[in-house]
Amino acid sequence: MLEFDFLTPNRLDESTAILEETGGCILAGGTDLIPKMRNDLFFAPILVDLSNIDELSFIEEKDDQIVIGALTTHQAIAESALLKSTNPALVTAAGTVGCVQTRNRGTLGGNIANASPAADSVPPLLVYDAQIRLLNKAGERTMPLTEFLVGPGMTKLESGELIHSVSFSQLQGAWGGAFQKLGVRNGMAIAVVSVAAAIVLDASGKVSDTRLALGSVASTVVRSPKAESALIGHEPTPEVVSRAAEACAEDISPISDVRSTAEYRRHAAIVLARRVLEQAAAEARGRLV
Amino acid sequence: MKSIQATFEINGHEVTLSSAPNRTLLEVLRQDLGLTGAKDACGGEGECGACTVIMDGKAVNSCLVFIGQVQGCSIETIEGLSGNGDLHPLQRAFVEVGAVQCGYCTPGVIMASKALLNENPHPSDEDIREGLSGNLCRCTGYVKIVDAVRIAAEQQPRR
Ligand SMILES: Cc1cc2nc3c(=O)[nH]c(=O)nc-3n(C[C@H](O)[C@H](O)[C@H](O)COP(=O)(O)OP(=O)(O)OC[C@H]3O[C@@H](n4cnc5c(N)ncnc54)[C@H](O)[C@@H]3O)c2cc1C
Ligand code: FES
Ligand code: FES
Repeated sequence: MLEFDFLTPNRLDESTAILEETGGCILAGGTDLIPKMRNDLFFAPILVDLSNIDELSFIEEKDDQIVIGALTTHQAIAESALLKSTNPALVTAAGTVGCVQTRNRGTLGGNIANASPAADSVPPLLVYDAQIRLLNKAGERTMPLTEFLVGPGMTKLESGELIHSVSFSQLQGAWGGAFQKLGVRNGMAIAVVSVAAAIVLDASGKVSDTRLALGSVASTVVRSPKAESALIGHEPTPEVVSRAAEACAEDISPISDVRSTAEYRRHAAIVLARRVLEQAAAEARGRLV
Repeated sequence: MKSIQATFEINGHEVTLSSAPNRTLLEVLRQDLGLTGAKDACGGEGECGACTVIMDGKAVNSCLVFIGQVQGCSIETIEGLSGNGDLHPLQRAFVEVGAVQCGYCTPGVIMASKALLNENPHPSDEDIREGLSGNLCRCTGYVKIVDAVRIAAEQQPRR
C-alpha cells in the first residue's frame, strides 16, 4: 500500500483544525477507503482518523428532529429503538449493509460521503427529506441531503470540511415507512436496486404525503416525483399503488453493469416500489384511529 | 511517512508497538505479534471474514482496520481462547461435530461466533447464519458450522 501520514485528532475542534491545516482525507470505519487504497484506486498523502471522535457518534431526538452523528455505525442504527419507532426503513437498510463485521465498522457518514448510488442508508434518509450538517474550522452549513449528493462518488463536501450529522423530522399522524433491497444474493450484497417509501394518510385514509426514493437506478439515489404525485389524494388501493410503482420508471435511468442490466433494474425497481409502498401503506393504515 | 505508536490490549496483555501507518491490524497481528490465527483469504477486501477478530467486544475484519485505529482498544484473537490449554466450548464443539475441514476459515468463524454468542447467547439457526454471513467457508457447506455454534450455545447456562 502507498505511504501516508496518519493523524488522530481526539476532539471535534481539533479535527476541523487539522483538516483545515492539512487538507487531509477523512478516515472513519475504513470499509470503503481501505480496500480502495489497497487496490491503488485511491491515494491520500494524509489520513485524518475520526474514529476517536465520540462526539460524532450519537442518535438523538431534539426539538422533534431525529439527529444521527456521522460516526454512528450501521450496527448502532440497526439496533436503535428510537430509529425503529421513527424511521424503520433506515433501520432495515442499515441491517442489510454487508455483514456484521462491516456494520460494526462502517459509518453513516462514510456511507453518505462515499456517494455510491447503491448506498443503503441514503434512500430511507431521502424519504424523510433529511438535512446534512457540515462543519469546518470557520463554521458550519446545512443543506438537503439530495443537494449534497452530486453524482457517483461526488458530493458538495469541500476540503477541510467534515460531515457532522444528518437530521430529519418525524412523520406525524398515520404514517408508514419501508425499505427493500435486491442484491445478487441474500447476504453481503451491494444493491442491484433498493427502494424506500414513506406514506402518510389523512383521517379518511387518503394519502396526504408520500415519498419514494430509489437506489442503484441513476447516478445518485433519486426521488420519484411521478410515483409520489400518482398517490397523493388517493386511497392506496392495490391498483393505485401499482400505477404509482409503474410511474417510477419514468424518473429513473438505470445502467447495465457487473451486477445487473438496465432492463432488469427497471423491472425490479417497479416490483420493489410496489412492495415497499404496500408495506408502508399497511403500516400507515394500522396507525389510523 | 512517519511511523506511529499504538498501545492496545491483545488477549488481555497490553502491547505498545511502532509501525508504519499504512499497515492493517491483520498484518501487525501476523507479522509483528506472531499471531497467525487470523488469516487473509480475500486479499483484504472485507469479503471473506477469515481475518475476523473481536475489537472492543465486536467482530471486525482486521484487514479493514489500520493499525493507528487500534490505539486504546482491546483485541481478542483465536489465540486468546485457549490460553491455558483448555479448548473454549466453541472450539470443542467445532472439533466434536467436524466443523473444520481445511481450517483456513475456522479462526475467523469461531471469533465471529464468539461475538454472536456474547450478544445473543441463545441464537436461532437463522441468527447463526446471519451472524456468520460475512464468513466464507469453501469446504464445509456450513451445516456443521451451524451445528457447532448451536451446540456451544446449548452448553451455556440459560439466562
Ligand atoms: C464487504 C463489504 C460489504 C459492503 N456492503 C455494503 C452494503 O451492502 N451497502 C452499502 O451501502 N455499503 C456497503 N459497503 C460499503 C461501506 O461499508 C459503507 O459505505 C460504509 O458506510 C462506509 O463507511 P466507513 O465509515 O467505513 O467509511 P470510510 O471507508 O472510512 O470512508 C468512506 C469515504 O467517506 C469519507 N468520510 C467518512 N466519514 C466522513 C465524515 N464524517 N465526513 C466527511 N467525509 C467522511 C472518507 O473520506 C471516504 O471518502 C460494503 C463494504 C464492504 C467492505
Ligand atoms: S482478509 Fe478477507 S475479510 Fe479480511
Ligand atoms: S474449512 Fe476450509 S474454508 Fe472452511
